Amino acid sequence: MRIILIGFGNLGKGFARALVEKASHLRETHGLRPVVVAAVDEFGAAVDEGGLDIQKLLRAAERTNSVAGYPSRGVRGKTALEVIEEVEAELVFELTPTNIKTGEPGLTHIKRAMMAGRHVITSNKGPLVVAFRKLNELARKKGVEFRYSASVGGSVPVISLAKRMLAGNEILSIRGVLNGTSNYILTRMSMEGAPFDVVLREAQEMGIAEKDPTLDIEGIDTACKITILANAIFDMDATLKDVKVTGIRRIRPEAARLAQEAGYAIKLIGVAKRDLLEVGPKLVPIGHPLAVGGTLNAVTFQTDLARETTITGFGAGPRETSSALLGDLIDVYTTIRGKRCGTSA
Amino acid sequence: MLVRVEMELEDVPGQLVRVLEPISRFGGNIQNVVHQRDKKTPLGRVPVTVIFDVGERARLNRILATLRNMGVRITRVGEREGMVKRTVLLIGHIIHTDIRDTIDRINALRGVRVSDLSLAMGAMGEESSARMTIAADNEECVRRALQRLEGIAAEKKLLMITSLEGT
Repeated sequence: MRIILIGFGNLGKGFARALVEKASHLRETHGLRPVVVAAVDEFGAAVDEGGLDIQKLLRAAERTNSVAGYPSRGVRGKTALEVIEEVEAELVFELTPTNIKTGEPGLTHIKRAMMAGRHVITSNKGPLVVAFRKLNELARKKGVEFRYSASVGGSVPVISLAKRMLAGNEILSIRGVLNGTSNYILTRMSMEGAPFDVVLREAQEMGIAEKDPTLDIEGIDTACKITILANAIFDMDATLKDVKVTGIRRIRPEAARLAQEAGYAIKLIGVAKRDLLEVGPKLVPIGHPLAVGGTLNAVTFQTDLARETTITGFGAGPRETSSALLGDLIDVYTTIRGKRCGTSA
Repeated sequence: MLVRVEMELEDVPGQLVRVLEPISRFGGNIQNVVHQRDKKTPLGRVPVTVIFDVGERARLNRILATLRNMGVRITRVGEREGMVKRTVLLIGHIIHTDIRDTIDRINALRGVRVSDLSLAMGAMGEESSARMTIAADNEECVRRALQRLEGIAAEKKLLMITSLEGT
């Protein structure tokens, strides 16, 4: 299967490494041989229809700060849209940084890829928050597969758990700790009694929080994920504006202590129900499956048959998130192979 | 309020239906009936416990009076007021926005009482934190109390953090 990688930052590189590490597993267990025919970043592209050497690609990106530094096949200034139009491939990975306002440049990348008849896998929340339904309709119209497991929960298979394993249930509500940065801050505040600003600075030094942590601590990142879950699982047509959001900036260590004395932890919880989308700090009973510590993510589905099911794991990190991207890759591969063979129930 | 009435009935057919009838008639919503035939009293009576929800005290008094007039032997009446408890955190200028007024406005609701309050003062000029326990007679009372507190919090610019159980 020929694939194009768009976006070669931490996540793109992590995924490329996972492709190398998992090559024999993919081949032997799933009969899948992914060939990276092009990689693009903001400075240019590397294209080889016979297949790029991923190790060389990683070294070039390391050395020259761009995939355009790939020996003899790298082209400075070549754009993602040019590559999507020109290079023969079955599948496009859209792994560029998120813009929650416009969804760009990911949104255009995904649309163009679908128009060109290519399957798309993305980790990018922006396009999903801005145009979830449109993108799914376009994929259907063009007969291509579209997957976005990595956009919510990192390595934690939140969407596929709901859509497949719990498929026989009516899902009544989704509640989750979906942002590792804010969960880390809240956990440290309750454990150490340290003020918000001190813990935030520590998180930034450790690389857990970004230089501009606004999206994480104001609850907006969680709101994006709640929007995607509502659209994917409840088939809603929600955007970010539909989510009522409260962040954690006003939480104080004294509040965390008062909560703890009464047997609670303060967690930033995203809630999706058919009639309510909200994000805000909540008191979670200590010992409740959602009372996870550190940078962990956790999601609880309340359903009619299974009652409550909770899934927990690592919500960020390039290696962890590659787990979701590889899962989608295998899923797309087996789906289209199934279609080709005309399998049906 | 939720009420638990324990009584002793004669061991003859039709007694249980007889005592349940006035409870329903005066607006009691029966939630549980325990009929303990295996624990007869020395006089051969059967202990029965009925738990029901009733809107106001006057109705409860009418139910009890009617049962007594019927000759039912009532051994114990337990009101289970404030049965439902909910913990809430408030962050903001809690004292300066008149904590007493906040509590009074919650307590003014029927079937609701602020039963506990712990306060942690912030440094000079900084926001304080409070943990409030609201005791209410039933879930509906809790819902109304939280709704009122939400309004007060918005008005006084307090951050209100409710527990997950309510979502």
